[in-house]
Amino acid sequence: MCLFLILSLLFPVAADEPPALKQFNERVKAYAELHKKIDSKIDPVDATSSPELLVKQKQQFITALQKARANARQGHIFNRGVRPIFLKILKRELKGPTNTEPRAMVLGEGNPKAKDSPKAPPLKVNGTYPTESPVSTMPPSVLLALPQLPEALEYRFIGRHLILRDTKADIIVDFIMNAAP
Amino acid sequence: MTKTRIVLIAFILFAAVVAQPRAATVPQSDAFRFAVIGDTGTGSSSQEQVAMELAKAWSRFRFGSVLMVGDNLYGKEAPKDFTKKFEQPYRQLLGQGVKFYAALGNHDDAALQKAYKPFNMGGERFYSFKPQPGVRFFALDSNYVDRKQLEWLEKELIASQSDWKILFFHHPLYSSGEKHGSNVELRKMLEPMILIHGVDVVFTGHEHFYERIKPQGGVHYFIVGSSAKLRKGNIANTELTAKGYDQDHTFLVAQIAGDEMTFQTISRKGKIVDSGTIRRAEKRITRK
Repeated sequence: MCLFLILSLLFPVAADEPPALKQFNERVKAYAELHKKIDSKIDPVDATSSPELLVKQKQQFITALQKARANARQGHIFNRGVRPIFLKILKRELKGPTNTEPRAMVLGEGNPKAKDSPKAPPLKVNGTYPTESPVSTMPPSVLLALPQLPEALEYRFIGRHLILRDTKADIIVDFIMNAAP
Repeated sequence: MTKTRIVLIAFILFAAVVAQPRAATVPQSDAFRFAVIGDTGTGSSSQEQVAMELAKAWSRFRFGSVLMVGDNLYGKEAPKDFTKKFEQPYRQLLGQGVKFYAALGNHDDAALQKAYKPFNMGGERFYSFKPQPGVRFFALDSNYVDRKQLEWLEKELIASQSDWKILFFHHPLYSSGEKHGSNVELRKMLEPMILIHGVDVVFTGHEHFYERIKPQGGVHYFIVGSSAKLRKGNIANTELTAKGYDQDHTFLVAQIAGDEMTFQTISRKGKIVDSGTIRRAEKRITRK
């Protein structure tokens, strides 16, 4: 049996979503559409040898996205209804003696608040995640357990706080404080 | 002896020499050569020194590709950093048309690097390429192994008919490093596919030393994470190590010819610190 089928059995995508999760998925989808809309208006840069062009395009994208989401606040996507769902999943995946490895992966080296980490990004919706801050390595088991995200977004941790991060702009889109047990 | 006869004899001798078949060289027309570097992006003198040694190795081995196993740029990634931490150190190889293929490390800006043409990532976090018949490489993003990447990898491994399947990514599944050690979480997800779908070799970085791991289920694992960074004395004494070196910076060069991969691991000062031949074999599926 191929691994994909095994994964689907071990980490099934829920057939009947709780309303809070459905709302989360709708908001995430709306964000992805905004991301795509802004991306289409930025001067396209295909794979290039010029870091100047890449950095310029990225900065244009960041500026446009921050402007479009100027009123974004914590909880716009991780709203009150869906936060308990995430906390429950993370407790199941990271707490307890059988989960020491994924927990170490989340909170250990690579987490921008880990010991020896050069710089922790400020936890602020619509704030940028500095390039010089490392990104936390996400345990595959946690990623498979959490609701799936479109390409525009990813989950990461800053300290114990779960963040949604824009994959192109490196902007913090929303966060849940102290999500990791 | 007349002048005519001398000239005739000389001509006959000359013709005999020229017509003599050249000593046969070992045919290497189907050999594929590549190098591996890791955790490079410092812009430091160490990186520069290793890069110079890598260029010297190129003049001997003429590899066409270099795999980068992540942490390709440390710190800021402004345009000048791409110059200082990549283009400048490897200018000789880039000038010779050697292609670099990057995997993402935990210090890398994915959005910038996957679009940066000299890293040959094709705009993707994970990708595969086949530099010549019989050899396929798979670059993974081990920072974020989600369902999408796992499904992609399985599909690609099944589809690949290549004799040699080689993975490279940042976080080692097996490691004797005291700082990080084996990433057991990643291993749980990736190793079943590695074993079932016939992967032969895995290159990683993240640990700032060199380690060749004893074959695990017939698969050969290498950590090549000291091409600019170094943690001296960081290799713990474990059962995993076939060969370890944590006293100086290193890189690896390899050649695949038929069913054999020969490799040398070379230090910053040009010393060969490890070498060997891997023979591609039938894989046994091990269950743990």
